[in-house]
Amino acid sequence: MTQGNLYAPYLMRVDEVVEETVDTRTLKLSFKDPEVAAKFDFKAGQFGEYSVFGAGECTFCIASAPTRKGYIECSFKKVGRVTAAMRELNVGDTMGFRGPYGNSFPLDKMAGKSLVFIAGGIGLAPVRCVIQNALDLRDKFKDITIIYGARSVGDLVYKRELDEWAKRPDVKLWQTVDPGGETKEWKGQIGFVPNVVEKAHPMALNAFAVVCGPPIMIKFTLPVLAKLGFKDDAIYTTLENRMKCGIGKCGRCNIGPVYVCKDGPVFNAAEIKKLPPEF
Amino acid sequence: MTRQMFISESALKSLAEELVKAGTRLVGPARERNGDLVYREASDLGEIELGGDPPTRSLKEFFLPPTEVLLTYRQKQGDVEVTPAPHVFAPLVVIGARPCDAAAVAAVDKVMDWDYHDELWFGRRLATTIVSVACGGGDASCFCTAVGLAPDSAKGSDVLLVPVEGGFHAEILTEKGEALVKAHAARFTEGGKAEAAKAYRDAARGKVQANLSADPAKIRAFLEAGFDHPIWKGIALRCHGCGACAFVCPTCHCFDIVDEPDSIERGTRRRNWDTCQAAKFTLHGSGHNPRNEQNCRIRQRMMHKFAIYPARFGEILCTGCGRCIRVCPGGMDLLETLDKLGRLPAGAPAEAKRGAP
Repeated sequence: MTQGNLYAPYLMRVDEVVEETVDTRTLKLSFKDPEVAAKFDFKAGQFGEYSVFGAGECTFCIASAPTRKGYIECSFKKVGRVTAAMRELNVGDTMGFRGPYGNSFPLDKMAGKSLVFIAGGIGLAPVRCVIQNALDLRDKFKDITIIYGARSVGDLVYKRELDEWAKRPDVKLWQTVDPGGETKEWKGQIGFVPNVVEKAHPMALNAFAVVCGPPIMIKFTLPVLAKLGFKDDAIYTTLENRMKCGIGKCGRCNIGPVYVCKDGPVFNAAEIKKLPPEF
Repeated sequence: MTRQMFISESALKSLAEELVKAGTRLVGPARERNGDLVYREASDLGEIELGGDPPTRSLKEFFLPPTEVLLTYRQKQGDVEVTPAPHVFAPLVVIGARPCDAAAVAAVDKVMDWDYHDELWFGRRLATTIVSVACGGGDASCFCTAVGLAPDSAKGSDVLLVPVEGGFHAEILTEKGEALVKAHAARFTEGGKAEAAKAYRDAARGKVQANLSADPAKIRAFLEAGFDHPIWKGIALRCHGCGACAFVCPTCHCFDIVDEPDSIERGTRRRNWDTCQAAKFTLHGSGHNPRNEQNCRIRQRMMHKFAIYPARFGEILCTGCGRCIRVCPGGMDLLETLDKLGRLPAGAPAEAKRGAP
C-alpha cells in the first residue's frame, strides 16, 4: 500500500484537534484518498511516521483502536521541530502518514483473560489503543482494570475517556496523581503508580498486564507486578526508541540484536530482560 | 559455472569507449584535482586506476547517495501534493571496483530487502553493472581476509577481472555480467587465463593475511556475551564522534530523513547519511539518550557489524577495506580492536545489572 516508494506518505486530513494538557494534543486524522481509507487496517500497538511537510517526520503509536474505523488518532507533546509544527495544524489541514509498522499487542492470546492496564503520563496513548480495542470487544475479556497516573491533575490525558471509563460498571479505573499534583476537587488517588498498583491489587491469575510510561515508573512497577504473581511473559509494554524509517533500514532503533521498529515496538518483560540496557 | 574469458587492456579501453558512446555512465576510481582517488564518473578508461591505492571513499554512494530526494511536495492553504522520487535509473557500469567495495554492496542488499524492498537502493542496483578488478593486496590497513573475503572475492561483482600479462582474466559471474559480455562480445576471447591469474591472486591474499588473522566467529561470540565487558569502558578515549569512519565505510548504511523547504509552498524530503557515532543519533524527544556515551556508540558499531548483522542477515557488515583506520583523526584502529577482541574469551564478567528500563 505504498505510493511510489517506501518513504512516500499517505495524505491525511486533520478532522479534530483536542487539547489534552497544556503541552499535549491529540489529532484525529482521516485518509484523503477514499481507496486508501477503505483498505487501511492496523493492529493495536502498531506505530507510524507522521509528518508535517517542511518540518519532517516523527514516530508515534496509533493512539486509537483498529476497531474504530475511518480515522486514526495520535497524541503528542511539543518537544521539537516536528511536534511544534504539528501544534500549528488546524482542522482541515493536511499531514502525512506512513504505516502501520511494527508488531502489536497479542489480543488473540489475551482473549478470555483479565486485563490490567497501567500507564503514566502520555504513556497512556499506546495503552489507550488496547483499552479501546478491548472495550469494543468487551465480551471477549474478563475483568478490565485501568491504573493511570500523571504528575498532576493538569497532566492527565484523555480526560473525556477517563470519565467514561469511570462510569462503566465493567471497568475498574484507578486514577492517581503524584503527591502535590492534586487539586481541591481531586477525588482520585494521590501517590505514585507502582504504589497504586499494589493497592489496587489486580489478580494475576489468568491475567495480562500492559504497562507503559516513563522508564522510572516501569522500573518500579515491574517488581510490584512480580509480587502480585504476574509472570514476565504476561507483562507487555511498548518501547519508544528513536526511529527514522520505521522499517528496519535506518539503523537507529537497535537495542542489541533487536530492531525496535521490526521486532517491536511491543515486547513482554521476559523479552525485555534479555536486552542490553540501552533503551 | 562461471564463464572464464580474457580481455586485453586495449579491448577493455575500447569497451569503455563503446559504453560512453552508447550513453552509459562510466564510473571507476579516478583522481580528483586534489589528488584523492575516488569513484567518480569518467569519460575514458584512461582516467580510471584499475589497481594500486584503495579509493578514499567507497562505492556505496552510487547506491545510497550522501543525500537523495525521497519526494518533493507542494502545499497551498493546507492542501499538499506529493511527488515521490522516481526509482528508475540510467544504466551505469563501474569498471575497477575494488572487490571489498563490491562485496559491501551485496551485504547491504540484505537489509534493504528486509520485508520492505527499498526501491531507490534497488533501482540503482538494477541499473548498475559492477566490473571489479582483483586487488593486489592493498596497504597495511587492509584486512579483508580476516572477515571471510579476499582481495579477489567475487561477491557482489558481475564480472571479476584479474590482472595477467597483457590484460585480464575475466570471470563472468551474473546475468548482468553476461549481458555486458554479450553487448561487447568482440572485446572478449573465450577461455580465460586462470593459471596465470593464480599467482597474482595468491600473492595478494598472502599480503593481506599478514596484516591480521582473526576468527570472525570468535569475535562474534565475544560480542554476543561481552556487552558489560570492561574493555568497552575506555574504548572511545580517542574517538571524536565525528563519524568519518561510518561515512567512508562501504557497509555503514544508517540514514536520517529530513525535510528541506525551498519556500513555504514547496520543498523536498531527503534521506541523508547519518551515523550511530553521533551523540544525537538516539536522543529521545524527552531528552533521554539510551547511548549517552561514546563508549556505548563504539560498542554499538562493533556489535552491529560483527554480531547483530551476521545473526540477522548472515553477513559480516565489514569488508576489511581499512578506510575507517586510514581516515580516523583520533587514530582509532579497527584492525587492532578486532585483534584484541578475537583474543578475549567469550563470556564477560557481569558488572552492570540487566533488567527493566
